[in-house]
Amino acid sequence: MELESAATKTLTSRERTYVWKRFKKQWPLHVFVGLGMVFLLIFSYTPMFGIIMAFKDYSIVTGIKGIFTSDWVGLRYFEEFVNDYRFVELVRNTLVLSFLKVIFAFPAPILFAILLNEVKNMAFKRFVQTVSYLPHFISWVVVVGIAFSFLSTDIGILNKLLVTIGLIDQPLDILTGANYFWGLAVSSAIWKEMGWWTIIFLASIAGINPALYEAAQIDGAGRLSRIRHITLPGIKGTIVVVLILTIGSILGGGLVGSNFEQAYLLGNDINNSTSEIVQTYAFKVGLADGRFSYAAAIDLIQSVISVILIFSSNTIAKRVSGSSLF
Amino acid sequence: MNKSSFGKGFILPLTIMSVMALSACSGANGDSNANSDSGNAAASSENTAAGNTNTSTDTAATSSGDAEELTLFINHSWYPVKDFTGPIADRITEKTGVKLKVTVATDDKQLPLMIASGDLPDLIFSASDIDRLSNANISYSWNELIEKYAPDFQIDATRIAINTMKDGNFYTIRNAFATEEEWKANQYALGNDGNPGIAVREDIMNELGNPPMKTLDDFVNILNMVKEKHPEMVPLIMDKNWIEQYFMGQFGIDTGIGNWYESEGQVNYWLKHPKAQEFFLFMNSLYRYGYILAENFAHANDQIDDEYAVGGKAFAHSHTVSVADRDNISAKKNGAAYTFKMIPSALSEEKVQVSTGIGWSGTFITKKNKNPEKSIKLMQYLASDEGKKLTMFGIEGEHWTWNEEGYPNLKYSTADSDFVNGNGIKWWFLYSDAIVEGLWGYVPGTQTTQALIETKEKTVYKPEIGLIQVQADSAEKTIKTKIDEMVTNEKVKIYLAKSEDEAAKLFENMLKTADKIGLAKLDDWANKTYAEKKALFK
Repeated sequence: MELESAATKTLTSRERTYVWKRFKKQWPLHVFVGLGMVFLLIFSYTPMFGIIMAFKDYSIVTGIKGIFTSDWVGLRYFEEFVNDYRFVELVRNTLVLSFLKVIFAFPAPILFAILLNEVKNMAFKRFVQTVSYLPHFISWVVVVGIAFSFLSTDIGILNKLLVTIGLIDQPLDILTGANYFWGLAVSSAIWKEMGWWTIIFLASIAGINPALYEAAQIDGAGRLSRIRHITLPGIKGTIVVVLILTIGSILGGGLVGSNFEQAYLLGNDINNSTSEIVQTYAFKVGLADGRFSYAAAIDLIQSVISVILIFSSNTIAKRVSGSSLF
Repeated sequence: MNKSSFGKGFILPLTIMSVMALSACSGANGDSNANSDSGNAAASSENTAAGNTNTSTDTAATSSGDAEELTLFINHSWYPVKDFTGPIADRITEKTGVKLKVTVATDDKQLPLMIASGDLPDLIFSASDIDRLSNANISYSWNELIEKYAPDFQIDATRIAINTMKDGNFYTIRNAFATEEEWKANQYALGNDGNPGIAVREDIMNELGNPPMKTLDDFVNILNMVKEKHPEMVPLIMDKNWIEQYFMGQFGIDTGIGNWYESEGQVNYWLKHPKAQEFFLFMNSLYRYGYILAENFAHANDQIDDEYAVGGKAFAHSHTVSVADRDNISAKKNGAAYTFKMIPSALSEEKVQVSTGIGWSGTFITKKNKNPEKSIKLMQYLASDEGKKLTMFGIEGEHWTWNEEGYPNLKYSTADSDFVNGNGIKWWFLYSDAIVEGLWGYVPGTQTTQALIETKEKTVYKPEIGLIQVQADSAEKTIKTKIDEMVTNEKVKIYLAKSEDEAAKLFENMLKTADKIGLAKLDDWANKTYAEKKALFK
């Protein structure tokens, strides 16, 4: 509101009364906006002061006050992380896992929505849709428990089945093998979140004017070409917005999220070389060891990469499709 | 029309998206609600538990005045007792007028966060972050409190010396410590359960004709026989926290993982031990010959190995000296027909056991403490002969009687964890020592006792090595943490290498990485500290 009044200073009195009148008319909406801004201010902006910890020699025994009183050390912790013997591996794991999720997890709900849209039996369609989005409500801890009973070398149903029908001699170490981790993480994330994101694309498809399909049918367009020329262009805007959101949160796992949960819960000493990501590393060496400054520096590096990614994806989206977030 | 349909097709999903975003928030809220619900449930069960103690202590309170409720944070997430209830707890309240409201740590990240936020309980029981907690801003020093409130609280000079911090104060006395003289003076005090041991299936040993088990090779041969005769069984299953210790001892590596060893007056990080490579290659051979599972190194908790052993799916079970006794109790409960027996504690001439112990976990009286006087007096009571025996053995007459020989005759089995934990025996050892704990372990005739006697015979005491401890927020600590973390990641790769050559190469690489991180600097520092600390014991 202060900002608003500052902006009105340069206005003439007639314009001012006009603005005031409009504001009076819209006040309930402004209350909503204001509340949202207060929320952001308290929970998103205020804690950001803590970031200065990354540049300070902070010791936890000095308490919250210590964040402000401890000595500045410049980029010491950033250097320490960049020179860490695992730095390259950690960044690689983070990026590979994130990009794999964009490549495989992003198109999955779009394809699934289109498939569902082609199903003519409403009862079946609804059933499939409900079943597919239910896993969204299960926490990762439970999902990992389920994964264990399906995939472990010892009691896993899948391994038992494959061995019994003779496809493999030795059970596959899906849960512990370093080579399996990325595939496991991406596929379990798709299994868990695909159905949920399908809802939005289905809604988008529902908004397409049915007359277009009828016209195309009369013109002799088959199913595939109707999908290609009507459905896909019809939901293009939605796809772009979701894509930008995905890339904005790419290092957290994008659309399907949960990089941290997966790396933390599915990671173990054996698959560590592929499962340890920047966030879990910050969690382990930073929090458990009480080195909050170092943890803050590590996460800040990741945030910088994220910001770069979201701006570039937004620019690319604007150029390619004409729609963008900002 | 086209345009408007596009608009509709765009606005509807946007609305849904914002609803989803909101529902995601509420989902998160839902989660946290669920958490706080369980938190509430825990709190309310605590309340009812506290209520119970209330009723039981109300009667006691008439004799001992009003009980002061102090909050206690136990920084051991695995701690088997979560409430201050049961006969031992009641007796402590009766004697000291203190009731404890216990919180057990959820993980190792909780305490650092509590320290940073200043949100501290009255008492903290911890084995880690000792140097952070030993800070005049965080805790009261014991010497100050003793002078002020309990001048008759006597603590021996060695204990004070090894717990004194750089500022000249001591903020806790770690339990589970005894001096070499104390060990020698108490022949029935054996080591505690923190010593490695391996149990094997007795029936299968009989089936194999009880082949000799005198050397490490014998043991490996037996594993091989088991693998051939019982391919469905895992020859050796290991507790996730007790994988290496037994074998390291057999190779004569006189230290633990992440610790220092001493040779000719010099201390070195354990990786530099001349036998380290041999040990790593041995572990690798266990895996390559199929005696251990790769999955063993990914066990999420320390129950999985017990299930293998007790469930009859494994032949040998590596854990602590009490593993055979504990497995036998569990197997019997399950109705299993087989039993376990310990293999000898020493399978080689080189077997050593170095005790670098300076104690394990200590109680801190924080600056937020409501009643420092009662807190230090609680420590004084627990430190008394009566207090130590009460916490460790139980109620005299009911749980034990004193044997004139110099040890307690217990009326329960120490391996019966349900009974021990259910009554809160042992676990309120907020102040205790290794002697009373050692006497508790002495039960004539049990396998655990036998294993502990064997272990004690081979034990050399070097507490000055245990005093080489990196200080929080120091350069050495950073180096050590990184090297330890690196070894945790790399060692499993060595164990699981496909060939001996590969294992040897990985071992070399691990040493090189350790050097790169700064091992030489760390060892220099350790030697300097070692020289300082050695002087303490003269």
